[in-house]
Amino acid sequence: MKTLTSLLMAVVLCGCETVQPWERGILAKEEMQWQTNVSEAQLRNQIYASKEASSGGAGASGGGCGCN
Amino acid sequence: MSRPKDERNKTVLALTSSALLLPAYQGALADAQPEFTEVGMRYSKYDEDDILSRKAFGGGSERYEIDVAQFHLLAPVADQWSFALDVAWEDMSGASPWFVGESASGSPKVIMSGASIEDTRTEVSGTTRYYFDRGNAGLNYTYSDEDDYTSNAVAVDGAFNSEDGLTTYSAAVSTSHDDIDPTQGTIPTNTLSARKDVNSVWVGVSRIVSKRALVRFGLSYTYRDGFLTDPYKGDDRRPDERKEWAASAGYRHFFDAPNAALHVDYRYFNDDWDVQSHTVDIAWEQNLPQNFRVTPFIRYYTQHEAEFFYNLEDPSYEYFADDYRLSAFGAFSYGLRLRHDFGDWSINLDAERYKTDESWGIYSGEESPGLVDFWRYGIGLDYIFR
Repeated sequence: MKTLTSLLMAVVLCGCETVQPWERGILAKEEMQWQTNVSEAQLRNQIYASKEASSGGAGASGGGCGCN
Repeated sequence: MSRPKDERNKTVLALTSSALLLPAYQGALADAQPEFTEVGMRYSKYDEDDILSRKAFGGGSERYEIDVAQFHLLAPVADQWSFALDVAWEDMSGASPWFVGESASGSPKVIMSGASIEDTRTEVSGTTRYYFDRGNAGLNYTYSDEDDYTSNAVAVDGAFNSEDGLTTYSAAVSTSHDDIDPTQGTIPTNTLSARKDVNSVWVGVSRIVSKRALVRFGLSYTYRDGFLTDPYKGDDRRPDERKEWAASAGYRHFFDAPNAALHVDYRYFNDDWDVQSHTVDIAWEQNLPQNFRVTPFIRYYTQHEAEFFYNLEDPSYEYFADDYRLSAFGAFSYGLRLRHDFGDWSINLDAERYKTDESWGIYSGEESPGLVDFWRYGIGLDYIFR
């Protein structure tokens, strides 16, 4: 898996074009953010983590809960 | 010929850099200090489907439902700092699977805990963040308190942009110390009091691919140590440590003609309990006239069962769990978000349906009779003090 991730990174990063700061207006749009609603994303991730055997992947783990 | 870097371009650069950064701790970062204070309130309802009578002894039964209220504040402080406060209140009630037994026909059925669970949870999380020329660093403390569970967690994260601003490198570490004190009622518990520690590290990189596309990759390792058994499930016996790896990737692409953005996220998870999983999240953020935005989304999840998951117990097993959350299954969820901006306000509505089935997974295994389906609804209101 790590090999696949490294390979994907290499392919993507090599295929990047140079984008000047004044050409990044579209990338700054709210709908292009990694999370468009942080509170909802926090709740969703908490629910998934309490109903599935997996968690994490997009940051360090936060505080725990005894969620059943 | 290149344009001069005027004030407008500085603004775009700051905004774009924030678009690049990875969520190092529970949310999006920004490497430019927020210009205004923003607050938000949100209410959500989580409602599990009743368990079917053919899957439970004693007939069908209601399961869990939770009311959740959330408050969010983000404010600039001094010249290069910000402070964020997140508070969540949860009110839980209902029943959950207690253990699995064998029916007269030989099929496994769940025995529910009875509609006896009543609990509330309060979580308070504060984050201070320092911003410098090419990145930021944050310190977070989170306290969570329930009748039977207390957690104290600290996390440190940082993000650093490359000189051309095209690449952002991020990292985070966290540690959590949890106390478990199960409520003593009609159901015997697996411990009277226990502790659990969770330590986690994460690294990530994100990159501008084009004027309309971003990509990111992340890798995390989590070590859990202590009482990992479910205190309320009958005869649950789990190892006292767990090592988890997760690799993730994300992609964002903006399409001019429909005025919409495509979100694609993937995560691979693996641990030393023999759990593996794949998660794919896809969303389409469609802008509409009058400052409306509608976002349909779909998620697929599949997991391999833990090596000590069985529906029916054999006392010779060193470890044993009949917890449906450790069984092999697949899950589809789908939903819709609606957002409307008016002045300094925005309102968000969302709904999600989550359904599971053993046959939807790519890994085969014993089907647990306790698999859960649920609905989630939410409404939120945000305000910016300009």
